[in-house]
Amino acid sequence: MRRRPGRSKEAPELDITAFLNLMVVLVPFLLVSAVFSRITILELNLQGGAPSEADDKPQMNIEVIIRQGSIELRGNQKVIAKMNKIDNKNYVEGLVQEPTKPINEKQIYDLPALSKHLLKIKASYPDKLDALILLEPDIEYRNLVGVMDAVRGAEIKKAAEDGGEPQTERKVLFPDISIGDAP
Amino acid sequence: MRHDSRRMKRMARNHKKTPGMNLTSLMDVFTILVFFLLTNSASDEALQNPKVITLPASVVETKPKETVVILVTPENILIQGKVVADTPDVVNRQANIIEEIKNELELQRSRTLVTDEEELPEVNILADRRAQFSLLKKIMSSCTSAGYAKISLAVIQKSSQGQ
Repeated sequence: MRRRPGRSKEAPELDITAFLNLMVVLVPFLLVSAVFSRITILELNLQGGAPSEADDKPQMNIEVIIRQGSIELRGNQKVIAKMNKIDNKNYVEGLVQEPTKPINEKQIYDLPALSKHLLKIKASYPDKLDALILLEPDIEYRNLVGVMDAVRGAEIKKAAEDGGEPQTERKVLFPDISIGDAP
Repeated sequence: MRHDSRRMKRMARNHKKTPGMNLTSLMDVFTILVFFLLTNSASDEALQNPKVITLPASVVETKPKETVVILVTPENILIQGKVVADTPDVVNRQANIIEEIKNELELQRSRTLVTDEEELPEVNILADRRAQFSLLKKIMSSCTSAGYAKISLAVIQKSSQGQ
């Protein structure tokens, strides 16, 4: 900064009282109206119409079946993979469940394995966008949402070129999801 | 020693007028806080987070739209804030289509102005994360039978790392 000659070296004091008052009022006001958990929506493709059968490309019907103890992945009516539930690393014995906290389960669905299989299918059918999720009647809603997340897209970890933190990239898999009853 | 203390007294007397608190860091904190809070203020939210249920978490980023809202709590099913059915009763029912929900949705549909014929009516379902699929399926079939073909599930946004 340039200083005019002949001025005293001491910086002139700013009167920031008014600004400070404004801040003191503004901060509590905004704190009250702030949202820390944002609601988003998952769009379903319920009656997406009949798929165009006249396609020349090889068709592949992807079905993910959520059962009580496992997830089954089917393509063209054939079972590709069956993933049993895996042990939850974050399970705490005898923890009292609080309503808003993540649910403390002993076993969880193996979503990373499902992602891996789906990525393989996506690699062979890059134009495929729709998938069908079939559920047993007593599956909880959150499991449906978890599987939907895995089917809609997967995260691929990429090592950074400069050897730093590995970067995650989101890859879209099958975003048009239909829902049905498990056979 | 005496000289020094007298000088200190004089200095103290002269500087008493301006205590000069250093507020710079406080100002910095406030400024950052204000901008942070301004960016996530709730003024433009179409959906309010209901306190009675816990929504499941998902990584989707689609913003909710102004639509008909069905709220599924462990006790009741509400459409646009109006109780239409009891959840345990609906769970125990055999029928796939819940008449109360269907009727209320048809009423909602007749009330809304149709601005665009092409536009399909939409509905948003807010359900507790522990709700069972059989219940959800009944609600969804009721929606489709009432002509609401586009169904969205409301979720809480979570960061992508937290699997």
